[in-house]
Amino acid sequence: MVAPLYTTASGLLFHAGKILVCTVGLPARGKTHISRALERYLRWTGVKTAVISLGDYRRKVLGGAQKLPPDYFTLGEKSPETIKLREKVLEGCEQTIWDFFNAGGQVVIYDANNGTRERRNAVAEKFDKAGIHVIMLESSCDNEEIILSNIRSVKISSPDVTTRTTANSYRGWDPEKAVADYYNRIKDHEIHYEPVEETTWPFIRIINVGEKIMVNNIHGYLQSRVVFFLMNIHNRFRTIYFARSGQSLIEHSYKADSDLSPAGWEYAERLKEFVLERRAKSLAERGIDPKERRLVIWTSARRRSHHTAWPFLTHNANDPAPPAKVKVIERPQMSEINPGVWDGLTPDQVRKYYPDEWVRFVNDPYAYRAPRAESYHDLCVRLEPTLIELEREKEDLLIIGHASVIRCILAYLIGLPASEIPAIEVARGDLIEVVPTSYGVYSQAHHFWDGPGRSSGPPSHGKDEHNFYENYAEDTRGKRRPDSSVSGSPALSAA
Amino acid sequence: MSATDTPDKKVLAPFTDRELAAVDGVLKDMSADENEANISITVSRDLDVPVPVGSPGPPAVFGAGGPMLKQFDQSNAASRIMSQASTPPRSVVGIGGKVAKPDYSEAKIVLAMVGLPARGKSYLSNKLMRYLKWLEYDVKVFNVGQLRRSRARQRAQQSGKREDHTASYFSHDNVEATKLRDQLANDSLDMLIQWLKEGGNVGIHDATNSTRSRRQKILERVSREPGLVVIFLESVCDDPAIIAANVALKVSSGDPDYKDMSREKAKLDFERRIREYEAVYETITEPHLSYLRIKNVGSQVTLCHIHGYLQSRIAFYLMNLHLKPRSIFFSRHGESQFNVEGKIGGDSPLSERGMRYASALPQLITDNIGDAPLTVWTSTLQRTIQTAQYLPYPKLTWKSLDELDAGVCDGMTYEEIEEAYPEDFANRDEDKFNYRYRGGESYRDVVVRLEPVIMELERQENILIIGHQAILRCLYAYFHDLPQADLPYIKIPLHTVIKLTPKAYGCDEERYTLPIGAVDTHRPKPKGPVAAVVPKTGREYYTQDA
Repeated sequence: MVAPLYTTASGLLFHAGKILVCTVGLPARGKTHISRALERYLRWTGVKTAVISLGDYRRKVLGGAQKLPPDYFTLGEKSPETIKLREKVLEGCEQTIWDFFNAGGQVVIYDANNGTRERRNAVAEKFDKAGIHVIMLESSCDNEEIILSNIRSVKISSPDVTTRTTANSYRGWDPEKAVADYYNRIKDHEIHYEPVEETTWPFIRIINVGEKIMVNNIHGYLQSRVVFFLMNIHNRFRTIYFARSGQSLIEHSYKADSDLSPAGWEYAERLKEFVLERRAKSLAERGIDPKERRLVIWTSARRRSHHTAWPFLTHNANDPAPPAKVKVIERPQMSEINPGVWDGLTPDQVRKYYPDEWVRFVNDPYAYRAPRAESYHDLCVRLEPTLIELEREKEDLLIIGHASVIRCILAYLIGLPASEIPAIEVARGDLIEVVPTSYGVYSQAHHFWDGPGRSSGPPSHGKDEHNFYENYAEDTRGKRRPDSSVSGSPALSAA
Repeated sequence: MSATDTPDKKVLAPFTDRELAAVDGVLKDMSADENEANISITVSRDLDVPVPVGSPGPPAVFGAGGPMLKQFDQSNAASRIMSQASTPPRSVVGIGGKVAKPDYSEAKIVLAMVGLPARGKSYLSNKLMRYLKWLEYDVKVFNVGQLRRSRARQRAQQSGKREDHTASYFSHDNVEATKLRDQLANDSLDMLIQWLKEGGNVGIHDATNSTRSRRQKILERVSREPGLVVIFLESVCDDPAIIAANVALKVSSGDPDYKDMSREKAKLDFERRIREYEAVYETITEPHLSYLRIKNVGSQVTLCHIHGYLQSRIAFYLMNLHLKPRSIFFSRHGESQFNVEGKIGGDSPLSERGMRYASALPQLITDNIGDAPLTVWTSTLQRTIQTAQYLPYPKLTWKSLDELDAGVCDGMTYEEIEEAYPEDFANRDEDKFNYRYRGGESYRDVVVRLEPVIMELERQENILIIGHQAILRCLYAYFHDLPQADLPYIKIPLHTVIKLTPKAYGCDEERYTLPIGAVDTHRPKPKGPVAAVVPKTGREYYTQDA
């Protein structure tokens, strides 16, 4: 359970304090990947967080590498002008950090090499004096394979090519030559690199993408969450699918926990076909045999959700295809948002019996908690352990969920601000496919079903507009759907 | 127009046209699909349900107290017959049902401890066992020392001669004894593996496992078993104060090895034994091992090749432990209006007596804790917030501390539930821990929900939780290592503060009852004896079956 237990007037968690996370590591060690992932997680939980990248800052103020003096990156003696320029960049970047803290920020992840003891000590002391908790976060690698693959995927052929000058400058190169060239360039840095062995500051050291993790002197609420999060992230290729549960007999009651309607059962069958087909295709594209990889399915403990997964567990004896290799896990924490005393009521009834609460709800469906109900904020807190599980899961995952739950998890994966969560459109009959990449996710929605209960379909009886608490914001605030796009945080999100 | 829209009439139909249309439409849809015209819609439009005087709003539409739930269940029975897929057996009607324990059969872990004597290995294994058992994993500690003693006892009975198990027995130069000790470690590992194969989840091999060759043997033995994984948990300690405390505990806690020895002599012998181990001790440096190293209880942690759900849970849990002395206080909210009326759930304010409890609480706490820092945690329900209102400490509100959600039965009395759903009511009494209220929660669900609270509680120092009956039962069971079946019957009376003080192998407990009357909300198990809670504070020597 992380931050959004409550909010204080300042927007900070009062028992967490301000934190500066200094990344430490040579180029191509995944510092940016880790920084971005951490930022996305902390922001989702409501903590005001920013990644401030020294490289991005330099590019912003000085322009690309071709505009720098030739000795800017080389080792050894530098001209006085270059030293001055470097200092100016460092100072300017540190100022950005101060500005963010002063504007009410709580966590800054300072994405820079910080490769020498002297350098990181200098930064840490400055912020420590101001009462900010400093943590060193080192990512190191002694496995050549990992480094090379990191260079290949991020530095040379990054989809994020516009913000990465390295990738830009290798445009038109033979990829393998480019990798070798870059590898040699960063090899020089190793001579001057000092790994975090000093225990002056609390540290987290991640070696070979989580193969080994060392933690020293980490105390505090947020700090401990950060460690747990970092323990669980990985970079194995996998796909996360989301689909809504089928239509149930009474869509608008949480308590009745009703079973699927006949259309809902039909939907469940169709979903199974579509998912298996779609997954076989995408695995084949990557040369993976679908029989080798298991599909893990998560459902809530609600009947409509668990029963939607039922066809995956039944195998028709006449079906020539072998049964799918699936595992269904029921997670009671994944129930839809609880409408409290408004369960089963219509908007008219709510307006009549709870006029004041109604107004507050309409104004802010993310933060407002109806009587005995959950707000989206509460739902995020409830889902946080599930989110860690989601990060940890290495197999392909299908989440058969409720719209509210899918919204929260999607917002995390895509990196949407919390206030937009209630307005994310999750249509029944769409399969949302999310593939995590280095700096964000690739997401796509496939439409596979039309029928009773599809929320954006033609008006028909039994559609879930009755379920107004869960879908209120979607109906009023415009729609935002995960498009076929790569999303990630903008380059210098703090500035 | 439905009756709901007619004001000034103390009569409400819980169905509105819109809702009826919804159910109606679904049912019509079914008959059209299946060419079966004879489905009658059994929902009635003219239900006169009087609203109780003083009721703040409309009745819960699908609550078990009204007629709608039953009608709905009857009418949708037809849909299940026509379903294309077979409906799983869990699909019950009524107010809830028993939910099976999740499948943990894939979790099979050998957790081998590594560390010198008096480094808190048993402390960590014990804590971990308590935590994992609370999450319903099957955990057992296989203590090699225990096996050694019980074997020696057997031989002593046969030969009539008592063996020498003083420090010289533990010397690496004592070739014969070393061989014997190796054999013991192997046998105990075999027993552990056998137990895992029979359905256990986590077997803790509590031994020093202090050399590389020893650990290699364990790894080789376990890798012969498909589906089993081994992780090593090394406990390192260089804080002389912690070591001294551990030695003192060992000597004074009735360790069978030092039964007939004076404390001074025992202490000297034990310190000699530690030196014998130190002479050959090798810390884990093997890069291929899956291990977890904890230094000085959590201040430094190293994880290597820790993969898998349970392994990462274990690592995170151990990371959050600390040894600072502190106390955890539990109190239920003061008596509420619903308590007085015998209703469950709801969000009612305190009764007059409950308010008196809230006023008296600050004095009781301050008398107990003096000026030590304390944080108060409440749920989001007003009865806990009201109870905490006069406490002069920082307060936090946790949604996760809200009372067990009784779903469709929320707001009813047990008598009403029994009257409306006699069979379901009896089912819950039969297996309360596993029973999930329809549209609500089971005790297991609450345990899952409280896991992050336990994690945070382990990290914190003095905490006072103003909570609810079911919530405090779950938390209490964690601290006292009580089995799940007894958990729903733990007595947590109103107007009583329970103070738990964690000790090396359990918790000390004190209870303070304020002389303010309150109703008794405890419902004993109808059949069978009530679990007697015996707090355990001493170290357990796993004697019976080790």
